[in-house]
Amino acid sequence: MSPAVFNAALYASVALCALGLLWRVSAWFRLRIGPDACEVTPSRRVLALCRGAASALSSRRVFRLLGAFVLDVVILRRLFASEKLRWLAHLLIVTGFTLLLLMHALAPLVSARLFPGYQPTLDPYLFLRNLFGVMVLVGVALLLFGRWRAGLPQLHRPMAAVFVALLGFVLVSGFLLEAHKISSARAFNRMAQQFIGTADPVELKPLRALWASQFGVVFDDLKTAIDPELPAQGRKLHGDACAACHTPPASAFVSYPVARMLAPAAGLLDAGPADTWLLYLHVFACFLGLASLPFTRLFHVVAAPISVLVNAAGPSSAMSTAGRASRRALTLDACVRCGICDLHCSVAPQARYLGNPWLLPSHKLLATDALATGRLLRSGRVRDRLSVEGLRAAEGAFLCTDCGRCTDRCPAGLDLEDLWAAGRGDLAAAGLPAPAQWIKARSAFAWALSLEARPGQHALSAPDAAYALLSTDCRIFSRCVQCQTCTNVCPVVAHSMGSAHGIDLTPQKVMNLLRLGLRDLTLGSRMVWDCATCYQCQENCPEGIRVTDIMCELRALAVQRLGAVRGLREPS
Amino acid sequence: MKYALFLGCKIPSRLPAYEASTRAVLGHLGVTLVDLAFNCCGYPVRNVSRDAFVVAAARNLALAERAGLDLLTPCTCCYGTLRHAIRFLDEDAELRARVTRTLAAEGLAWSGKVEVEHLLAVLARKVGIDTLTAAVLAPRTGLRVAAQYGCHALRPSDVAGFDNPMAPTLFETLIRATGATPVDWPRRLDCCGDPLHEANAALSDSMTQAKIADALESGAQAMCTACPHCHLRFDSTQAGAADPAIRVLLYTQLLGQALGLPVRSLGL
Repeated sequence: MSPAVFNAALYASVALCALGLLWRVSAWFRLRIGPDACEVTPSRRVLALCRGAASALSSRRVFRLLGAFVLDVVILRRLFASEKLRWLAHLLIVTGFTLLLLMHALAPLVSARLFPGYQPTLDPYLFLRNLFGVMVLVGVALLLFGRWRAGLPQLHRPMAAVFVALLGFVLVSGFLLEAHKISSARAFNRMAQQFIGTADPVELKPLRALWASQFGVVFDDLKTAIDPELPAQGRKLHGDACAACHTPPASAFVSYPVARMLAPAAGLLDAGPADTWLLYLHVFACFLGLASLPFTRLFHVVAAPISVLVNAAGPSSAMSTAGRASRRALTLDACVRCGICDLHCSVAPQARYLGNPWLLPSHKLLATDALATGRLLRSGRVRDRLSVEGLRAAEGAFLCTDCGRCTDRCPAGLDLEDLWAAGRGDLAAAGLPAPAQWIKARSAFAWALSLEARPGQHALSAPDAAYALLSTDCRIFSRCVQCQTCTNVCPVVAHSMGSAHGIDLTPQKVMNLLRLGLRDLTLGSRMVWDCATCYQCQENCPEGIRVTDIMCELRALAVQRLGAVRGLREPS
Repeated sequence: MKYALFLGCKIPSRLPAYEASTRAVLGHLGVTLVDLAFNCCGYPVRNVSRDAFVVAAARNLALAERAGLDLLTPCTCCYGTLRHAIRFLDEDAELRARVTRTLAAEGLAWSGKVEVEHLLAVLARKVGIDTLTAAVLAPRTGLRVAAQYGCHALRPSDVAGFDNPMAPTLFETLIRATGATPVDWPRRLDCCGDPLHEANAALSDSMTQAKIADALESGAQAMCTACPHCHLRFDSTQAGAADPAIRVLLYTQLLGQALGLPVRSLGL
């Protein structure tokens, strides 16, 4: 490979990587997540970070940060605690990759300076390169296996697959290149010319025999049985000209067997010439990986350690608004989509049953990201002016119980609860608040008119819309004698008296509307949505009507049915 | 005595003192608690889908059944929700068939064997008032306490099966066992206001404050809770004030102190 091409590609990928990093890092100060994030400008956020970093570094807290770096970045104790297999996989990948990078990719800068007499074709370097490569490959395989075993979706974002594909490609092409060079007669001839001064097959017959029998070189003219005396005669020349740089390649425990397997095709590859194009593929894949680093999952090597240090500085609640705003944006980038949060999510059974994955933390994180960047409501299907993806995301966001298990289990130690609260604020600001809020934004009467305008609307996710049993079964509420006991014992009614935040109907009126077959009029009622579910009405009803259970059922029905006409303009 | 401990979502994240004191007190009284991989009881999703709520609850019941244990919960709302789910499963065969199919996909099954118990009921009826009284080493004599029952322990009584819904005595009996004095207060069976807070904060606050004022007027020095929702509602309503009007104490903390357990183990 010509140095000019190599250097041009190197500088271009470094420049692209730097620009990409700048763009991604700037998002930590640009992205606005949470209603409070709108109060602070990006410059104040940069300032807050600098001030925070300076105060942390100049105080005793620096030891805490150092401790967090060692425990949570280097050793990854949180991942070890929850998933030993993936911890091992991560360790293998990080160690193998880092050592390959230092020892092999940056050999002129690192290995050549640290180890006198370093040659890539000498042991232990030959062996170690294979070992590190295998560590990475095994690590990747374990990660994928771990995801599969846990039932997690495989790399559900295209850019995550790009990184894994590139990594695999770099390693496989590296092994192939090494294997090819082992068996290459062309490479042998080139080096013989350079170090012995001749590549004449007759003159070098013993040396060629030695290399063919013990170093795996495939010579077209030496395919038949070699005279057993010949290799021994080549020993002297080998010792003088080759041995200083070459140990037998069998210690390349991957490349050498590959070379033996490829031996029948060695001549064909030599004619390729495979060493040139494999080298190009290998090197350019590395450069592509470098240039795309800011945009693939590999970016977490930058974001996750910084996130660990920021988290170690203290909880989100103790930070300034500016600091918290940046921390949320950083959290989006530090997440590696490992999916461990999903495995422990309290509402995972609900997500499965409703067929709405947006209840799960991994999806909520994507939704928060998409909402902050404006993608969530712009893209996807739109029905009646409302983004379907947005509606699903909002359903998920408001069914989260804030149990905190995702935050507890996150191997990167991300403060996800703060992110969820901020995301709910953003959804509400974008017109997608909790059901009680969007339903109460219109009167019960306006909702009933909307339902009349659009009969037979299908709900978004309603596996049980057909099973509204209590409010449709007239035997349940027809016994109601309108005695008003339910209204008299209702604390919501009592506290609504003379209040500006009061209710519209009383429980007894809700029952009466059901008796009259006017169920649509109850769905958006304040009484239904402000019911405290204290069960006083149900307990005290002299006719044994399950008033509170009916209220709960009406709510679920309202979410489905009013949800279907929610995008319609409010009837005037 | 052995139970699967169902903490729910609120206690581990918002009220760890309740978990700590529950474990400390029950451990001291010889009740073994087993932790299973439970999910949310289903309470919040009830507003969206009854089926999803029953599925979530039934999954917890099935996990307990697989472990061969009854379920004990210190959360009154989880208690009500889980017992409600059982009622719905009992009265609706089609629902039960759907839930059974959903559980079977995970290799789980619920046959109705699991009993859902509230922490207070286990203390009063299974451990027993006599045992409690005998175990008290440091009676909280002189402390006047208002018992906050919590709606979903009492009502609807045909689901809750906890105590007489109109004139319960269980909580007061438990308070008396610690040496403290339960006060009689008119609003003791009222809702704390918490479930309403997201939908209507002003109305919810008005309900919470009315209860606090009533407890104080009735001479209580502390309000005793056995539900994280009630507890956190009383706490957060008073959080803004410079001087909290009334102390909010978990029953497990009150009992733990009376049993002479170290205060740190009670999250105090």
